[in-house]
Amino acid sequence: MSASQSAVRSRAEAVKVSRTFDWLICFTLFFVVLGGYHIHYMLTGGDWDFWTDWKDRRLWVTVAPIVSITFPAAVQAMLWWRYRLPFGAVLCILGLLLGEWVNRYLNFWGWTYFPVNFVFPSNLMPGAILLDVILMLSGSMTATAVLGGLAYGLVFYPGNWAIVGPLHVPVEYNGMMMTLADLQGYHYVRTGTPEYIRMVEKGTLRTFGKDVAPVSAFFSGFVCILIYFLWHFFGRWFNSTEFVKSA
Amino acid sequence: MKLIKDKVAKLSFVALLAAVSASMLYTPTASAHGEKSQAAFMRMRTIHWFDLNWSKEEVAVNDTMTISGKFFVFSGWPETVDKPEISFLNIGIPGPVFIRAGSWVGGQLVPRSISLELGETYDFKVLLKARRPGDWHVHTMLNVKGGGPIIGPGKWVTITGSMKDFVDPITTLTGETIDLENYNLSNTYFWHAFWYALGLAWLGYWMRKPMFIPRSIAVEAGKADSLISGTDKKVAMGFAVGTLAIVAMSFSNTESQFPVTTPLQAGLLRGIKSIEMPATSIAVKVEDATYRVPGRAMQMTLTITNNGDSPVRLGEFNTAGVRFMDSNVAVDETGYPDDLLAEEGLTVSDNSPLAPGQTRTVQVTASDAAWEVYRLADLIYDPDSRFAGLLFFYDAAGKRQLITIDAPLIPTFI
Repeated sequence: MSASQSAVRSRAEAVKVSRTFDWLICFTLFFVVLGGYHIHYMLTGGDWDFWTDWKDRRLWVTVAPIVSITFPAAVQAMLWWRYRLPFGAVLCILGLLLGEWVNRYLNFWGWTYFPVNFVFPSNLMPGAILLDVILMLSGSMTATAVLGGLAYGLVFYPGNWAIVGPLHVPVEYNGMMMTLADLQGYHYVRTGTPEYIRMVEKGTLRTFGKDVAPVSAFFSGFVCILIYFLWHFFGRWFNSTEFVKSA
Repeated sequence: MKLIKDKVAKLSFVALLAAVSASMLYTPTASAHGEKSQAAFMRMRTIHWFDLNWSKEEVAVNDTMTISGKFFVFSGWPETVDKPEISFLNIGIPGPVFIRAGSWVGGQLVPRSISLELGETYDFKVLLKARRPGDWHVHTMLNVKGGGPIIGPGKWVTITGSMKDFVDPITTLTGETIDLENYNLSNTYFWHAFWYALGLAWLGYWMRKPMFIPRSIAVEAGKADSLISGTDKKVAMGFAVGTLAIVAMSFSNTESQFPVTTPLQAGLLRGIKSIEMPATSIAVKVEDATYRVPGRAMQMTLTITNNGDSPVRLGEFNTAGVRFMDSNVAVDETGYPDDLLAEEGLTVSDNSPLAPGQTRTVQVTASDAAWEVYRLADLIYDPDSRFAGLLFFYDAAGKRQLITIDAPLIPTFI
């Protein structure tokens, strides 16, 4: 067989090879994204995602979407412009959550015995689905950044409340009021995470009374728009093919 | 030649197996906390723990024990460590082998950060409930913002029983009693599994069709728009509407199921009450201090003046949690950890009772292997080569006076 000759001899064989190629690419992409995105998210979202007593209505709501919209934007750019495939964001979140659950279950629980109800990851899937759908329906990266980015930030808190809400039930403990999440943080000793490094309820949103979560979510959504633009360019740049002319 | 090659290959394989087995099968439990690695000046010149008591050495799962005592926030706090204006009373254990059921400083519950004053002494208590069986080194510990964890003395405690029997019952302000150990766990698993399945369904919808090669060819050929069908758009709309509906429904259900929720609680507790220490009637001046590296001994020349009304003797020098004692004057009866206790480690050139009004210059030697074992000898490599500690003087009636000392330390190598 010469170099110019086709490797397949029939259409059926070509389809089969093409599908095999699909699975190989998907499998590889999934785990590459899982690895890179997981490291990125642990370094930037870190404690906000590790512990329930960091999952507050201000900073967690603000930080988690902003630092997690990065890889979805980049992978969306690649899969959409190259292949018109609108599952970049969901693929990223599936990879991230798998990596996180493996980490939380085997490391946090299996090795150090922190209970899973204290160390579960944030749910990022609702925002990812909306991001993919908006890209597909609009076919526009700008619309996806503006509408999708905003939706990604806005839907984060309500999308997690079913999991986190029960841990915000108050309890009186030795004369002080805490939430159950605070009590988890107090009971399950972390020698390297003293109370003062817990970045919760900090900020100046005091004029909104108790309704700060929507304000934080809007701010998060706004920054998500900017981050989406930035990381979408990273995706396009990373995905560009340059051919060098021979001398 | 082939025979040699085969043998080399075989032996290499055996060696590889042995190496892998040695590295994988031998996994001892990590039980130390790096307390010996912390810079010696940090341990000697920041927090001085004393009168410590571990209430039990063996405790069953679900049973409790306390660690109590006092700590003195050293007046000569080193410049290189941030002052303990924001700090946290912690406990040094390898993960949550105990749960911290309570912790108090000056009688105040301290689940939050606290502000401490230099030169003050505080009493503390930590209530621990046993969770995971094993032998654990349980340390006192204070985290200081900008200073890091300052670990105190540790003692081995054995937890017996089975972790599966552990319970952590809590009654909420809404009147519900829950087990914090597994509360909300099935709900967490359910929602994560549900959303993950929905994500997989979205991915599966697109993966069931040919993906990369034919779609790439179509995009390159300018037929990108043909790749998204009307059905695709309807399915996508279904996913979007479904997602929003599920989010709204789950949010609303949670709100109605848990109508009373509060934000996470955080803050800094100021005004922690310190102990009124009795006024001392003894003055101590450190004339000089040397550390003799080969002898693992620290020698001090002290000029001691007794301004009180009863004769006193020097019974103990305590630094970095290591207690050097003159057994003729004071004996530990609290079960202090052996490795931190030099029962006869303190020698005083003249330790006869120092009469009221009398001044005496004495040579004091604190010697023990603990200098080396606890790497306090490394003080000579620290950026601020000073030592500090507590001196305990006793009168005939057993009344104790505590004096702090702080002075430069000169190493001697011969």
